[in-house]
Amino acid sequence: MPITQRPAVVHHRSQQTRPARQRASGFIAYVFALAALLGGWATASNASPPADELVQAELIAEPAVIRPGEPFWVGLRLRIKQDWHVYWRNPGDSGEAVSINWRLPPGFSASPIAWPTPQRIPVAHLVNFGYEGETTLLARITPPASLATAAPIGILADVTWLVCEKECIPGEASLSLSLPVAGAGAAAAPTATATASFDAARRALPQPSPWGARMQLAPDRVTLQVDAKGLTPGAIRSAFFFPYAETLVRHAAPQQLDVTRDGLVLRLERSALSTAAPTDAGGVLVLEETLGATTAAHAFQLANVAIGQGAAPYEPASLTAVLQAAFLALVGGVILNLMPCVFPVLSIKVLALVEQAGASRSQVRRHGAAYTAGVLVAFTALGLVLLGARAAGAEVGWGFQLQSPAAVALLAYLLLAMGLSLSGVFHLGSSLQGLGHGLTRRSGLAGSFFTGALAAVVATPCTAPFMGTAVGFALTQPPALSLAVILALGLGLALPFLLLTLAPQLIGRLPRPGAWMETLRQLLAFPVYATVAWLVWVLGQQVGPAGQFAALAGLVLVGLAAWSFDATQSAGGWGRGMATGGLAASLVGIAVAVAELESDREPVGAPQSASAARHERFTQVRLDELIAAQHPVFVNMTAAWCITCLVNERAALGSQAVQAAFAAKGVAYLKGDWTSRNPEITRLLQKHGRSGVPLYLLYTGSGEPVVLPQILTPATVLGEIDRIPDPPQRRASLPTPAKE
Amino acid sequence: MKLVARRTVLAVGLGGAAAIALDVALAPTIAYPGAQARIGAPAPAFTLADSNGKTVSLADFKGKTVVLEWTNHDCPYVRKHYGGNNMQALQKKWTAQGVVWLTLISSAPGTEGYVSAQEANKLTAERGAAPSDVLFDPKGDVGRAYGAQVTPHMYVIKGDGTLVYMGGIDDKPTARLADLKTAKNFVDAALSEMTQGKPVSVTTSRPYGCSIKYSS
Repeated sequence: MPITQRPAVVHHRSQQTRPARQRASGFIAYVFALAALLGGWATASNASPPADELVQAELIAEPAVIRPGEPFWVGLRLRIKQDWHVYWRNPGDSGEAVSINWRLPPGFSASPIAWPTPQRIPVAHLVNFGYEGETTLLARITPPASLATAAPIGILADVTWLVCEKECIPGEASLSLSLPVAGAGAAAAPTATATASFDAARRALPQPSPWGARMQLAPDRVTLQVDAKGLTPGAIRSAFFFPYAETLVRHAAPQQLDVTRDGLVLRLERSALSTAAPTDAGGVLVLEETLGATTAAHAFQLANVAIGQGAAPYEPASLTAVLQAAFLALVGGVILNLMPCVFPVLSIKVLALVEQAGASRSQVRRHGAAYTAGVLVAFTALGLVLLGARAAGAEVGWGFQLQSPAAVALLAYLLLAMGLSLSGVFHLGSSLQGLGHGLTRRSGLAGSFFTGALAAVVATPCTAPFMGTAVGFALTQPPALSLAVILALGLGLALPFLLLTLAPQLIGRLPRPGAWMETLRQLLAFPVYATVAWLVWVLGQQVGPAGQFAALAGLVLVGLAAWSFDATQSAGGWGRGMATGGLAASLVGIAVAVAELESDREPVGAPQSASAARHERFTQVRLDELIAAQHPVFVNMTAAWCITCLVNERAALGSQAVQAAFAAKGVAYLKGDWTSRNPEITRLLQKHGRSGVPLYLLYTGSGEPVVLPQILTPATVLGEIDRIPDPPQRRASLPTPAKE
Repeated sequence: MKLVARRTVLAVGLGGAAAIALDVALAPTIAYPGAQARIGAPAPAFTLADSNGKTVSLADFKGKTVVLEWTNHDCPYVRKHYGGNNMQALQKKWTAQGVVWLTLISSAPGTEGYVSAQEANKLTAERGAAPSDVLFDPKGDVGRAYGAQVTPHMYVIKGDGTLVYMGGIDDKPTARLADLKTAKNFVDAALSEMTQGKPVSVTTSRPYGCSIKYSS
């Protein structure tokens, strides 16, 4: 049986019915079609249609020969005249979907149509969903296992469509395909041409969604929530949902996109025609992701969309919700006063009040106000930094200040200094707005203000685990609301002291001043030291051994600085000079330690698990090592929040063909996770003129690497891998990785 | 000075409250332009010229059941229903029982389906159609108010002016004449249920057909 070198195509009868005034041209088209049929033009080599044809329909098969029991792909290829369109499964506001009625030999079965991602086609104020130009609808046909190999089998399809520009014309065709059947052992690989056109057709299909989705139905609104966690708001340029259900939403209404920490939320207008929940709430979601200067569009098939279940999606919060969150934050702030970070600060402040029992009520109140202002200013500043970072696209939450090792170390040093002061290692003079001094002096107001600010700063490590709910909610809201909730938290923190100063009769109830105060002060140092210990533990999660050593050395230097500082206050002459030198040296040492911490930062954030492909973690050292050994290397720079990266890994890099090619050529696969902005990766990105991921590099073993496009197909990657020579002896010299 | 302290607190509190109030007020609303007629709500009022030069208002038919039929005689789906005598039969059956049947044309001048008054009357005569009236909506305002998308797009309005059905004419969204035999006609079903004093069971369906050639 000869095997033809092109997809088997037989185009039979094609006819169109037209409105009266187009009847003449329709007749001409029919004559052309008839002539073409007689002339045998309907093969792939000679398929140019008459200019008048609106839709040319062809049936194509991927394999040249089929085998018993082995499913294969067939396609209905529609070539549509410019400016005209045919319709998707949900045609939108008007029109009719293409339909295929298969007539198959006994025992054969056909899958439902696999529809390519549709386009939005606006018509006046209405919108249709469909295809322009050329499109191929795919179906998988399964022949019976007991198929006789004697004669070719015929696959017939009665196809109808509606093709519209402004006017609409129904068309229909009966198409057939004749395919030889090979024995079980015979080679029946698809031809290159067929593979190419079917690969192209498959690429036009939406991919299965990597995320679950839910839908909420309100009388006039449909809210679609897609659990794509960790996306940065700026990364998604646009999103559009094509619902399968024909009467669910008003197709022409704008779809409002919100990117929250929990994923994407699309708010759609429910159609007045939608009176019941749809039987299938699924559809196709098209996302446009920003990749530096360009964008990449991805289509995902959302199946099994649950209706009205699960957590309520993000909505612009009601006043009640905001007030609730603010109240929760206020209560949380009050409780914060009891946390080990804050309690000592507050206690010292209260002790100062006790000491100054004779101060006038108005002065006491002024201090209360100054303290409150200090707390609120510090919280506002933290809030603004946080919101600014988020607006700039950083994936940060409350407690973000604890994600930087340097910030954690500085907090630990600050708290240690405070503890040492409480323990009496050094005394802050009143000129430095010491804790609890100078209450009667006017300058003491600034002291109260800074105590408030200090309380807010040292409170933040304790807020992160504790205030998650209220602050987490606040961050999903517009900035002004976020700030309001954060301020409520600050007000709560300030409240106990503020109340104490507003009601001086309460101060009268406190114990009388005495020696016990010094004892209490020394005792209060210990919760502060405990907080330092906790911060050092936090730091241990973020840096390597060298960083940990630097952090601990910094603690020692804080001790030295504290002691030196005290010496500068008491010593005289050269002793004072030495102490000053010691203080300066230890402060420089602390700065060096902090700098060291940032460079020994461990990558945070789990690597992506979407691809099971074997890879090593990227380091520049490892890459240099492999390049020096002239070993081929594939470098994949990715991030958890990058959809394009995810799609490339699933569709191209994770594919069996690519993995097999990597193995065959002995390509080392290095994967760098840029989720937490690893500076080593940033440098490599910049070297190749990129400001972000994805970046794909292929080092062929010699010379400069090949930079692959940002959107990969298996063919692209395979094509590049093919260029690598394959000397088998090289594998023996493959340097072993230092660590996986 | 104690006043200062109180004022500080008050100002902070008020500032926060003001910020909340402002933001709630500025929160995005979900209303989009493009009114949609709704089942159970009053049908949008209209006044249009008919093919005999008269002015016709929906309000003229208070107390009567009114059917609205959007049409475009060149649309293959309209041709299916007139070519198979389906639309005419329905018009005759129900106008005989006192139902007001209004055929509306929202095609803009120069587009497919737009006809002059004489042409409209000629079409009615040629096809043996029996609407109570043929109305022209060349600006498309009435079509837009009803959310009419296609031809044929059908609406049924109860005597009290509320909308009881909108959508396609039947459940076979094709241009094939042969499908008329097996189709379930939603307009006929709604009108039958209304004459029997029953609630309309199917109140909406997917309108199918050619898009209305609105003026843009």
